Amino acid sequence: MIENTHQDNTSFGYRTVTEQEKTGLVKEVFSSVSSKYDIMNDTMSFGIHRVWKDALVDWMAPKDKTSCLDLAGGTGDIAKRILKRNAGVDVHVVDLTPDMIFEGRNKIGLGSTNQPVSWIVGDGLQLPFKDNQFDYCTIGFGLRNFRNYTNALKEIYRVLKLGGRLLVLEFSNVPNESLRQLYDSYSFKVIPKLGGIIASDVDSYQYLVESIRKFPGQEELKELMAETGFENIRYRNLSFGVVAIHSGWKI
Amino acid sequence: MEEERKFDRHMLEILVCPLTHCQLAYDKEKQELISKAANLAYPIRDGVPIMLPDEARTVE
Repeated sequence: MIENTHQDNTSFGYRTVTEQEKTGLVKEVFSSVSSKYDIMNDTMSFGIHRVWKDALVDWMAPKDKTSCLDLAGGTGDIAKRILKRNAGVDVHVVDLTPDMIFEGRNKIGLGSTNQPVSWIVGDGLQLPFKDNQFDYCTIGFGLRNFRNYTNALKEIYRVLKLGGRLLVLEFSNVPNESLRQLYDSYSFKVIPKLGGIIASDVDSYQYLVESIRKFPGQEELKELMAETGFENIRYRNLSFGVVAIHSGWKI
Repeated sequence: MEEERKFDRHMLEILVCPLTHCQLAYDKEKQELISKAANLAYPIRDGVPIMLPDEARTVE
C-alpha cells in the first residue's frame, strides 16, 4: 500500500540493493530456511548459538509482570528462554516472515511452558504498536537483516517505555587477527556448503556469511544506538567477538 | 498442532495500525483487523495477525 518514494540503497550480503528489495529478499531467505533453521543453527555453530541466546536472557534478567517485544523472534528461541526464566513476562513475538512465526508457535506450544505468547507478523520498521508499550525489546540475530539499522533502532526506541531496555544479540567482529582468519575461512568455505547439504540452499547461507561481515562492529553499533537516543549502552563479547550483546536503555 | 488457531482478542489491547497508529476493529467473520484511518484490512491467518500494509486489503 505505502510506496517508498525515495529509493535508499542498502546491503543484501555483498550486493547493493534498494531497501524495498532487501525486505523481499530477506523474506525469501527465511521462508526458504524456516523448517531447517534450528538444525542449521546447531550444525553451523556446534550448538553454541544456544549458549549465546542463554547469555542474552541472563543479562536481561527479566522482571515479573513486565512486557517484552521479541523482534525478529520467529522461531521462538528467545521467547522460550525468557518464559523459562520468568513466566511472569508478557512476550510478543514479531517477525516479518509468517513461516518463521508458525514454526515458532508450533515449537513453543509443544514445550513445557503453557504461557501464552502473542505471535504477530510485522515489519520492524513499521511496528503495529503505540508509543511507550514495552519494558524490554530483544532481538536475537535479527537486526542484521533489517533494511535500515538506524530506522529500526528508532522504531524500537518509540515503542519502549521510559525506563525500557533494548538487548541486541548479533554477530560482531573478532578482534584477534589469527582467530579471525580461522573464523573467516570456516564462514566462507564451510557454512554455504552446510547450507547446501542440510537446507538445500547455498544462496541463503552465502547471504548469511556476507551479511555478518557487513554488519557494524561492537563500537559502531554502540554509536548507532547512542545516536538513536539510547543511554547507558554497554556490550559484551561472546566467543571472542564472533557475537556480541549490546544493551541500552530509554531513559 | 493441526487445528485452526483462534485470534486472541487480548491482542487488540496492544495492536494498532502500523501506518497510522490508530486502533483496529476486529472482524470475526472475515478474520481481519480493520484500520478505518488507513482504509486497510489486515488479514488474520490461522490466528496470527499479518500487520503488513503491503499485504492488507483496501477497504472503503
